[in-house]
Amino acid sequence: MKPRAVTGLGVVSAVGVGKDTFFRALSEGAPLASAPRHPIESFDAANYPNAQDTVSEVPSFDPTKYLGDKGLRTLDRLTKLLVVAGRLAMHDGGFKRDGVYVQSSPERVGICCSNAYGSLEAITELDRVAQLEDARYINPAKFPNTVSNSASGYVSIWEDLRALNVSVSDGNCGALDAVACADIYLETRRADALLVGGAEAMSEALYLAFRRLGVVGKGPRLGEGAALLVLEPLEHARARKANIRAEVIGYGTSFHGPEGEELIFASTEAMESAIRMAIADAGVEPGDISVVASSVSGIKSHDEAETAAISRVMGDVPIAAPKSVLGETLGAGGAMGMAAALAWFDGATPSPIVAGRAPSDVRHVLVTSIGYYGNASAVVMRAPRDSVRS
Amino acid sequence: MTNRPSNLPHVDPQRVNAGGVPRVFITGVGVVSSIGLGKDEFFRSLGTGRSGISPVESFDASGLGRTYAGEVKQFRAKDHLTQAELRRTGRCSAMTLAAARMAISDSNIGATHLKGGRTAVVLGTTMGEASIIADLDHRWIHRGPQAVKRALLPKYGSTLLPIHVARAIGAQGMVLTLPAACAAGNYAIGFAADLIRAGRADVVISGAAEILQELQYSGFVRLAAMAQNRCQPFDLNRQGLILGEGAGVLVLESEAHAVRRGAHALAEVGGYGLSCDAYHITRPHPEAAGSIVAMRQAIARTGLTPDDIDFVNAHGTGTRANDTAEAKVMNDVFGDRRVPISSVKSMIGHCMGAASALEAIACVMTLETGIYPPTLGYETPDPECNVELVANVAREGRSKVILNNSLAFGGYNAVTCFARPGVLPEPPICDPREEETLAAAS
Repeated sequence: MKPRAVTGLGVVSAVGVGKDTFFRALSEGAPLASAPRHPIESFDAANYPNAQDTVSEVPSFDPTKYLGDKGLRTLDRLTKLLVVAGRLAMHDGGFKRDGVYVQSSPERVGICCSNAYGSLEAITELDRVAQLEDARYINPAKFPNTVSNSASGYVSIWEDLRALNVSVSDGNCGALDAVACADIYLETRRADALLVGGAEAMSEALYLAFRRLGVVGKGPRLGEGAALLVLEPLEHARARKANIRAEVIGYGTSFHGPEGEELIFASTEAMESAIRMAIADAGVEPGDISVVASSVSGIKSHDEAETAAISRVMGDVPIAAPKSVLGETLGAGGAMGMAAALAWFDGATPSPIVAGRAPSDVRHVLVTSIGYYGNASAVVMRAPRDSVRS
Repeated sequence: MTNRPSNLPHVDPQRVNAGGVPRVFITGVGVVSSIGLGKDEFFRSLGTGRSGISPVESFDASGLGRTYAGEVKQFRAKDHLTQAELRRTGRCSAMTLAAARMAISDSNIGATHLKGGRTAVVLGTTMGEASIIADLDHRWIHRGPQAVKRALLPKYGSTLLPIHVARAIGAQGMVLTLPAACAAGNYAIGFAADLIRAGRADVVISGAAEILQELQYSGFVRLAAMAQNRCQPFDLNRQGLILGEGAGVLVLESEAHAVRRGAHALAEVGGYGLSCDAYHITRPHPEAAGSIVAMRQAIARTGLTPDDIDFVNAHGTGTRANDTAEAKVMNDVFGDRRVPISSVKSMIGHCMGAASALEAIACVMTLETGIYPPTLGYETPDPECNVELVANVAREGRSKVILNNSLAFGGYNAVTCFARPGVLPEPPICDPREEETLAAAS
């Protein structure tokens, strides 16, 4: 791919809201395990005694601080997280000031956003009404929330984005795949800039389902959040004198289904292929990678597959596990990894490191995501000072 | 199984090797629909104007005041899937996999051509495995959290549609779902073609799928958008949409790959247009501004002018707002030229995420046969929908280049363009020279 400038970040995560908060938390690198306990806000946790220790919500999330009081009543949590991230990204990217476009135009800005599970909150709430009361009492204003792309549809409405609006879903790899989509959409000039990333929201249904799977409490907490990076062609960013925080220079993806009958499967081969493809796409060598923003999450089979693939390609490269700080954010995971890379380019020391030693000089970051089904994706990012003047 | 001689010209190696944009062809289609399984039955039904709209049987809709849908009643997953696949899939993935197998068989593409990293699977949907989450919810609501099965969550997620297909055929390229509500099929097919043009894949299995579920059905009833028992797009007395379900899958191939294996192409994929209304989460823009931009883009990106378009496969949901907006698009883009338009939703209902993929396959039929499918139930013209409708019976006409229009929840607009092989003078364009064209189009 051609290098794409990253010129803005809107992020809502377990460490709070906004880029500065995020960068500060990443430079402190305090794992969530030692973070203060917050009461669970997205569902009634009375039935789940240890939920506070195993869930990482966005603490005290108050969307009205960013969006005002109007128009939020029927929105679900997923939508609120994403709309706030969208608002912050548009301002951080310099397209808007005080809510008004000051650069580019609505027709030339779009969004490309990943989500893995849709709004389980909305689906479950309406299912309850239909099952326990009467389907005729379903609130029609809340029904659109059950459609998994409605959250990014609301971002378009709130921020007035009239170029393309694309939702992607590829489980935990989705947010990195959104980069591949965005790259093609920029290359084909469907937009001058795109908000690219992912979102996932905590809900009782999500927590319950993961708990029944037996993976809650095994590693980093089950989390939520939304991260949107502003991506645009390098020349476009330079022409508008944008603040270039990083460049995305390579992407790779691969799928290897299991030989047996199982459904859940972590593929070292797929992860290795994706990494090799991303590095080749970026035109760099494995030795150029300073650190890996991995998706290591405490699920042993997947962590082992991922780190084995990383070692096969890059030997003993330092591996960081941002999910220890940010939680397992599923469809937003890759975007959180990319946001972590931005913090490292900004001077934060990569942490927590699960293999090797933290580099003092971060020049190229490989962001990896391993999926639950044999899918894997990878992205290479470059520090802005290493930008190649064309 | 079709095994027809190749109809593809010899590739101009100079253009391809000089970094020219490769053409993208559709070489096979597979269908699970309420009016037939497989291409032949689907095409026959479209041509004869057979409706698949009937009383709903998969759940009790009697308390909702609406009881009809384009429900797929003939599909039996076990006829198309292995025992292991049946255990892993919900109804939506099962339909998708069945349609994919039909499309692959129709394209006559050998299994070896599908294996490996140069084959991707890109599909659209609205809810994906909706039956799985309904099952999870019902157990939880009626029997408590302990009744939620461990195995349910891994089977849920839109991701699984392409995963199951890729697994079945040994594809190792990108697996991706584009959830774009009622326009999902067009988003998926457009992006699939892009992947090939960008050199990231030789073959992409693309399309979309959706199943009918009680929750979605109730939701549309509550939005007051649903008609009683028939869908009458563009009619003065239209009462709204009728929901449907199904899966439409297409095999897309790069020209070099298709020529190398001697493939027979059903259609060429032209350019496509995307835009977002940024107006309202369920209503289309009253002046159809975004939709107009998307249609003009699709034409311009195919390197054509509106005069080159022979037919438009309408989104045509049968709601007041949609059909009026769509008529505005037609009048804006084509002016006084009365381009024939028709909505197959009058036969199969609104198949939500699968709609524009099934409709893309209807476009393939029109290109193949020259038959415009009819819009059923048209009785009284609506002065606000002044369009050249193919009313009630199929019609033959010029069909070299046609458009597939879609508008979706969230203000998503997508328009794809399909052409008879050998018709398009140039592959779809996207280079700096076209900026003026696109600027003019917007």
